[in-house]
Amino acid sequence: MDRDLLRQSLNCHGSSLLSLLRSEQQDNPHFRSLLGSAAEPTRGPPPQQPLQGRKEKRVDNIEIQKFISKKADLLFALSWKSDAPATSETNEDSEDHYAVMPPLEQFMEIPSMDRRELFFRDIERGDIVIGRISSVREFGFFMVLICLGSGIMRDIAHLEITALCPLRDVPSHSNHGDPLSYYQTGDIIRAGIKDIDRYHEKLAVSLYSSSLPPHLSGIKLGVISSEELPLYYRRSVELNSNSLESYENIMQSSLGFVNPGVVEFLLEKLGIDESNPPSLMRGLQSKNFSEDDFASALRKKQSASWALKCVKIGVDYFKVGRHVDAMNEYNKALEIDKQNVEALVARGALYATKGSLNKAIEDFELALENCPTHRNARKYLCQTLVERGGQLEEEDKFLNAESYYKKALALDETFKDAEDALQKLHKYMQKSLELREKQAEKEEKQKTKKIETSAEKLRKLLKEEKRLKKKRRKSTSSSSSVSSADESVSSSSSSSSSGHKRHKKHKRNRSESSRSSRRHSSRASSSQIDQNRKDECYPVPANTSASFLNHKQEVEKLLGKQDRLQYEKTQIKEKDRCPLSSSSLEIPDDFGGRSEDPGDFYNSYRTQAGSSKTEKPYKSERHFSSRRNSSDSFCRNSEDKIYGYRRFEKDIEGRKEHYRRWEPGSVRHSTSPASSDYSWKSVEKYKKYTHSGSRDFSRHEQRYRLNTNQGEYEREDNYGEDIKTEVPEEDALSSKEHSESSVKKNLPQNLLNIFNQIAEFEKEKGNKSKN
Amino acid sequence: MEAPEGGGGPAARGPGQPAPEARVHFRVARFIMEAGVKLGMRSIPIATACTIYHKFFCETNLDAYDPYLIAMSSIYLAGKVEEQHLRTRDIINVSNRYFNPSGEPLELDSRFWELRDSIVQCELLMLRVLRFQVSFQHPHKYLLHYLVSLKNWLNRHSWQRTPVAVTAWALLRDSYHGGLCLRFQAQHIAVAVLYLALQVYGVEVPAEVEAEKPWWQVFSDDLTKPIIDNIVSDLIQIYTMDTEIP
Repeated sequence: MDRDLLRQSLNCHGSSLLSLLRSEQQDNPHFRSLLGSAAEPTRGPPPQQPLQGRKEKRVDNIEIQKFISKKADLLFALSWKSDAPATSETNEDSEDHYAVMPPLEQFMEIPSMDRRELFFRDIERGDIVIGRISSVREFGFFMVLICLGSGIMRDIAHLEITALCPLRDVPSHSNHGDPLSYYQTGDIIRAGIKDIDRYHEKLAVSLYSSSLPPHLSGIKLGVISSEELPLYYRRSVELNSNSLESYENIMQSSLGFVNPGVVEFLLEKLGIDESNPPSLMRGLQSKNFSEDDFASALRKKQSASWALKCVKIGVDYFKVGRHVDAMNEYNKALEIDKQNVEALVARGALYATKGSLNKAIEDFELALENCPTHRNARKYLCQTLVERGGQLEEEDKFLNAESYYKKALALDETFKDAEDALQKLHKYMQKSLELREKQAEKEEKQKTKKIETSAEKLRKLLKEEKRLKKKRRKSTSSSSSVSSADESVSSSSSSSSSGHKRHKKHKRNRSESSRSSRRHSSRASSSQIDQNRKDECYPVPANTSASFLNHKQEVEKLLGKQDRLQYEKTQIKEKDRCPLSSSSLEIPDDFGGRSEDPGDFYNSYRTQAGSSKTEKPYKSERHFSSRRNSSDSFCRNSEDKIYGYRRFEKDIEGRKEHYRRWEPGSVRHSTSPASSDYSWKSVEKYKKYTHSGSRDFSRHEQRYRLNTNQGEYEREDNYGEDIKTEVPEEDALSSKEHSESSVKKNLPQNLLNIFNQIAEFEKEKGNKSKN
Repeated sequence: MEAPEGGGGPAARGPGQPAPEARVHFRVARFIMEAGVKLGMRSIPIATACTIYHKFFCETNLDAYDPYLIAMSSIYLAGKVEEQHLRTRDIINVSNRYFNPSGEPLELDSRFWELRDSIVQCELLMLRVLRFQVSFQHPHKYLLHYLVSLKNWLNRHSWQRTPVAVTAWALLRDSYHGGLCLRFQAQHIAVAVLYLALQVYGVEVPAEVEAEKPWWQVFSDDLTKPIIDNIVSDLIQIYTMDTEIP
């Protein structure tokens, strides 16, 4: 119970109310304590003036008092106050929402003195006032208030209330000069009340919006035009000129009064909630109403029962085989009740029987959504899913089928059929996968053989190029040449580079740059690389230092910028070999999934061991170098693919994450979208790798060949062009890369052998070219 | 739906006791109000329904028609008039539930269709009896505007702590249990309701004494104090019936 309210009421009505209250509410525990204490204030003699007024009203008052006492438990309850808070006063009262009226006191013709007194009693900090500047001084300006802009809307125009706006509260409008110079006498100003001295009737205002409460802070303060004066004030002025207008007339003639939505608008403004309408009748207290009795709840129940009847009829039809009639009944039922579980299940069963499994599955799923515990729905859904899976299997859509089986199992773990089917499918898929892999291997072998021949040619070309560019190289980097076997051979970027020559060049550059970068700042190497790059008309990435090798991110960046060149850039330095190798190991693993990836993954190498040995020297080299560069070397790609493929087989589950992580990088590596696609494919569908993989291999190889032929480090994103470069180029490139790559320490024995071979090979070449 | 029987003639009544018809009307109006809440009707359509009902039985006799059927039809008609359309199915469901609290939802059988037909037929009958004048000016709009005007004049803290608006609204809604709407002007009812709400909480309109015109006079020129007192006393009378009826 609200004590203050009770006290207020008692003060007004006097002791008779108190006694009435006592008698009426004696059973109410809330009142006992209150009545005891609330009685205190009324004991004192009531003030003289109200007493007289009250005596006159005594007669009617008794009735009212009785009423109050009877309903006191409702009226003074704390929950009785507006449940919905009144909307914060946005005083943008346009005329259209409701009838904005002049202030009540104007109609009541209350004397100015009282208005003034009440104004100073009721004004609060943060209220918006509007006034006219009367004088501008050096310490601020004075304004005479015209009206209010928020909170209470009073008629104060004739009260001649002045407010001071001190200088510090005037924002400046220009960078120099006196902010007050902007204002002139007669300007209409909107300001916020900052300080009130109620006793002395002094007001201080501010033009900063910080003086306003949060919900009003959007209102602009400062000079306003007369059009912006609030509507109530304008009406008030009209009323002044025509003081015979009545409240009623003004209201009726206002446009807002006939607004159909005026009631809702004002209810919201006043904070009255219609959804829980208040009442003082005992029987209408909304807390006594049960939710089940409301129209919407009743309708739902009724619909469900009607729909059920239709479903029953439908099921009877179904049993005697009248499927069309049954379907009609089910549809009728679902029209009545859209989410009726029984109808959905029955219709699903009918669909399943007729063979439209997809529709059946839809219905069952919808039914399960609405009622997860429906046993039949679950059972039928599982059965249908398995059946559908079987259908898909026959159509060779294995992944689809698998997902269906899995779904069925997820729904019902004990569903034997689903499990059996799933296992059968897995076995079948695995077998086919293995078959594919073997096929792919064979194809790869064939390809690599071709590559070998073209690799020789490529080597020759590259040698020549190297000689030509020896000088440049020498000047740029101090790093030893390939012989150092630093593979940083990022030239492995060879993957990206097409031309064998370039590849070598880049390799050199890379190795050089990588070394220098190691020794010097990364920038140096990058500059070198840049130079090299520029030679190749290849855009230079910002971070070209091999330091990226230590950070995957950098690699990705590099890779992203330039497909191939990045590879070149990523030269593995001797120093970094170990760490690199470890990191690169990671990389390769990730790439393993991708055929394009420099396949210089340890795994791939390992798998290599098992794979075609003939290709190995070549491929391993390529892999090695490309690996180092973490870029896809062309040659490597093919090898990588093979290796990657293998790797897939072995490490798919474990590496998938790596693959994913590296995907962006690998995409970049694979200078061509095709290659990236390839890698993507390999990552995601290793199972299907066999066919697509092999195909991609050939594609990649072709691409690489083209690149090498062109001898440009073009950033060709579309390897779609017909490429018939010779494989040998790739080989040559890869071999270079291999030689540059250093990963020696961490390689297993067979790999080490391979690397040694590569290194030797490279040394020969490098020596030749340099010398 | 069966109508309760009308009580004995005027002689059987005690002094000051409401006429038995008034009790019936009270009960049926209560039914309309409750059904309106359960149907999600807003205050104005409910008020229109009650007004239609009261007006109908001013023209006719309780013996002639089943008041509850009339009530259901008035709800249906009021929904149309005040643009808050209701389905007969919902009205039937809610009413059925009102009389059979633990019953099952009605089946879609002939009885249902008969009920529905009766509502529709009754609606036409009512329209004809009322000469198709079924649109009314309700006090609600006036009351809301008065509240806004008063709110600006009162001290805002006083306004916030005193639930004048809610109480006035509740009083206005409850007034439809009786035939106030037919006997007094909408503006007058609005002012009277506001007056009572202020009285209940002992709120004084500032500077009331010094004013030339009392605030209630401002709101309605032809209003007089006796009218206010009449309305207030009638309203309180209506509430007394509440406690007597089970």
